[in-house]
Amino acid sequence: MSDQSPRPRRLWARAGTKTRRRVAGFLALGVALLAVGGLYTVFQPEPETARAQDAALVREGQSLYDNACITCHGSNLQGVVGRGPSLIGVGEASVYFQVSTGRMPLKAQGAQADRKKVEFTPQQIDAMGAYIQANGGGPVVPAEPDAALIGSDLGRGGELFRLNCAQCHNFTGRGGALSSGKFAPPLDPANPHQIYAAMLVGPGNMPTFADTQLSPEEKRDIIGYIKSVSPDSGAVNPGGNGLGGFGPVPEGIVAFFVGLAALIGISLWIGSRQ
Amino acid sequence: MSAPPESQYGDKAGTQPDSNQLHIPSDAELAEMSTDDLVRLGNRIDDIEVVSDRPRFPVPGTRAEKRAERQVAGWFILAAVMGLAFIVIFIAWPWEYVSPGQDGDLLYVLYTPLIGTTLGLSVLGVGMGIIAYSKKLLPEDLTIQQRHDGRSSEVDRRTAAARLVQTGQQSGLARRKLIFRSLGAAGGVLTAGIAVAAFGGLVKNPWKEGDDSPLLVTDWKSENGERVYLRKFDGDPEDVVLIRAGDLEPGSMETVFPFKESDRNDPEHLAEVVRSADSPVMLIRLRPNVTVIKRAGQEDFNYGSLFAYSKICSHMGCPTSLYEDQTNRILCPCHQSQFQANEYARPIFGPAARPLAQLPIAVDDQGYLYARSDFIEPVGPGFWERRSS
Repeated sequence: MSDQSPRPRRLWARAGTKTRRRVAGFLALGVALLAVGGLYTVFQPEPETARAQDAALVREGQSLYDNACITCHGSNLQGVVGRGPSLIGVGEASVYFQVSTGRMPLKAQGAQADRKKVEFTPQQIDAMGAYIQANGGGPVVPAEPDAALIGSDLGRGGELFRLNCAQCHNFTGRGGALSSGKFAPPLDPANPHQIYAAMLVGPGNMPTFADTQLSPEEKRDIIGYIKSVSPDSGAVNPGGNGLGGFGPVPEGIVAFFVGLAALIGISLWIGSRQ
Repeated sequence: MSAPPESQYGDKAGTQPDSNQLHIPSDAELAEMSTDDLVRLGNRIDDIEVVSDRPRFPVPGTRAEKRAERQVAGWFILAAVMGLAFIVIFIAWPWEYVSPGQDGDLLYVLYTPLIGTTLGLSVLGVGMGIIAYSKKLLPEDLTIQQRHDGRSSEVDRRTAAARLVQTGQQSGLARRKLIFRSLGAAGGVLTAGIAVAAFGGLVKNPWKEGDDSPLLVTDWKSENGERVYLRKFDGDPEDVVLIRAGDLEPGSMETVFPFKESDRNDPEHLAEVVRSADSPVMLIRLRPNVTVIKRAGQEDFNYGSLFAYSKICSHMGCPTSLYEDQTNRILCPCHQSQFQANEYARPIFGPAARPLAQLPIAVDDQGYLYARSDFIEPVGPGFWERRSS
């Protein structure tokens, strides 16, 4: 073939190469565009509202909100001056903490929102959370069972607890006083999800601990530590009574008075005559 | 008995001319005396009167006596058994730490109470046994000893004083001034030497280093122009995590410590810095829409809404880190001082009189926060030499 008519073929080939190159170029561009588009659809981050896709749940949450929360937080979650803050962007975690501990609905305006009887079922709390999450997003508590939120590195958890939490909540989570009638509550009644939510959103006057500050693993270790020093952790109290877990002051008072009474009693007995 | 006996010697006879008159027996008489006689003689010499001396069990070997004996022995046996239990538990009990909820945690937590209880009961048993013995088996006696509170006789006092005066006169110290003074010098210098040896180590000049004296600087001070970064602490000093401005959400607080890159491979110094008393700093990010008032001369110490204050209370040096993110107050747990975080941490309540020292911070080209300099004033409570501000 090559020896027959190389010249015309080369001419054809030259003209053909140009066309072919053009076609190939268009094809390559098309494939590349398709690939980029495809990859984009595959790796595209889910939008913020993706968690609140369940429209029915959001509607239920809205109706609950309209009945229970609207007076203080406003018809558009914008808050009411002198009554309650805006709920835009506070997130599902905040709703879960405030409602599942009974703090919301608030009984009365005051220095501190107290833990009290829970007014809503878990399903209703989920619905309200979905509604708040659908309007502005915000932090979310991991949807994992309680046990998954309890970390195992209690040493690190304890160290982090003493650095970040103990100043207000006491070193074994007994709670303590703050200014002007506010207080940091004891941590025993809180379940792991509530503690996690509290760290994420910083309810009341508590500072926020975002994941950039305390990683999810560190939060889990802190919860593990709190649960290990809580009286209902099943840990045996070697002295028989923890005396409130407040440390050396009550223990010293008991040792002083009980010990002193025992010593006086024994001295009286030694000195007595039959 | 109305007049106190003048002396234990012969003149006592003059005040008590009755049957108590003391006859000191001769050596031959002493050799013939029985134990009872000797005790009676001793009682008379010491002015002791035995009012009653009744055995608990006049008839030996009764059932009541046996029971009392068993009770006393019971205490001693308890002491012996508990002592043995203490030794066994001390050696053989599993004492190594077991976390709550794991197998064997009950045995572990019982270790300390058990060695305490057994050793305590052992000591108690010995003591109770001795007391029970004296209460149940020793004779029930009642004795009275007269108290001799009179001073020595006039003769004794006069002669003793005269002996001292004579010794002083014969020594001639009052006349030999040279010896007296040189002895005084020797004694004085020796005393001073002992005082120097005992207390000299306590005398230090805290201002020896001038402006770099320990009370005036903290670990935030840069050395050789090296940048001092803000680091987190999670319990492991070698796990160095630097801080970016975006790590803190609005309304949050992080306790930060100084970190120099040259310390990265020096575990000892890293551990020292995170535990030193004056280095903890509260890095606070205020919420948006908070009105900020800055202190004159510290207008550029913050980075945006990030403010860094010393954690050491300006009153007594407690860690004042109870940060309330709605009221922007920092509360000190020791004496309830309160500082306003958005107003240069000035004191608004309680005994503290000065604001918390503020650390000037900035961000480097990689976004990490660093201290532009040390605190511009000493942290913590005041001291005499502190220049007030």
